[in-house]
Amino acid sequence: MSYERFLAGEPVVVTAALTGGIHGKEANPNLPETPEEIGRAAGEVEAAGASVVHVHARRDNGERAFSTERFQAIDDAIRRYTDDVVIQHTTGATQAPTEKRHLSLRTDPPPEMASLDMGPLNRYDRLTSENTLATIDALYDEMADRGITPELEVFNDGHLNEVHGLLERRELADPVYATLIFGPGTLTRPRPANFLNAVDNLPEGALFNTLGFGRHQLPFATMGVLFGGNVRVGLEDNVYYRQGEPAESNAQLVERVVRVADELGREVADTAQARDILGL
Amino acid sequence: MSCPFLSYRESADGASFDEARAYCEAEERFVQPMRADICNDRFDLDHAADCEIYREHADAGESESDGEREEGDA
Repeated sequence: MSYERFLAGEPVVVTAALTGGIHGKEANPNLPETPEEIGRAAGEVEAAGASVVHVHARRDNGERAFSTERFQAIDDAIRRYTDDVVIQHTTGATQAPTEKRHLSLRTDPPPEMASLDMGPLNRYDRLTSENTLATIDALYDEMADRGITPELEVFNDGHLNEVHGLLERRELADPVYATLIFGPGTLTRPRPANFLNAVDNLPEGALFNTLGFGRHQLPFATMGVLFGGNVRVGLEDNVYYRQGEPAESNAQLVERVVRVADELGREVADTAQARDILGL
Repeated sequence: MSCPFLSYRESADGASFDEARAYCEAEERFVQPMRADICNDRFDLDHAADCEIYREHADAGESESDGEREEGDA
């Protein structure tokens, strides 16, 4: 049970989701969009205690970009501003052609990690991020070929079945790493009982990351720390520090969750520890 | 073809940006970057079918013009 990891004092891996692809500077002007801004933000969150940065690519006007070249520019900037942070690319791309979702895997070097959405997700009134099993398998196979560790994104409890299904279809290296996501819409309803249920239904030995959208970011990160999981915070998922107060930076959100972990007695993993924990 | 309500602005309503951003003239606000893909009809998206904001305002426009026509007919 994951609580044992808390009692054992296992370090917590903090991921910072720096930019995302849905909202942008129109929601919070402090959200980084250009490669230079994302690189600088990565340096700040690493200094604050994050060991993994989750990145999407954008055009200079904030709109979504998918090209390998754009991800390469972002990674180059991240490496200029950081010492040793783990780079995790998205492969999400609502409504964009499936082939574009593979492009983020083809940087040189490839990212150490990449997200792998485990099923469909509705957006707005009329869009869906499809994530068929064929798409999941194809993305996973390219990750495996390139030595990229998947971060399995579990948008709701049905996707827990898909995690088990993927393990039946493919041989994933240990430890399996799944991000449990809580929020509105298609996501699991953000309630503590649902969090515990999701943790309880993960494959044996799997590690989990905890992601709450918006106002749920801090409470669910706290539960993640308390129940032996890892945590993801950042402006991709939440643009506020508290109600009505826009966050100043990604680093501000990381600093807060590091303080929470410290108060609860969990060491925050440095980048070397994170690589060891995640099997990178 | 992009949405007729789409424009690109560097500033509006007290917000300003280095790069011109997608702005919805119907809602009078900057739109989320993901929604800008609908505005621009990228990736086989179609603002007329896929954007609830366009549909709401286009429907309102049709209703207004229908009303004018009915008045004229009367």
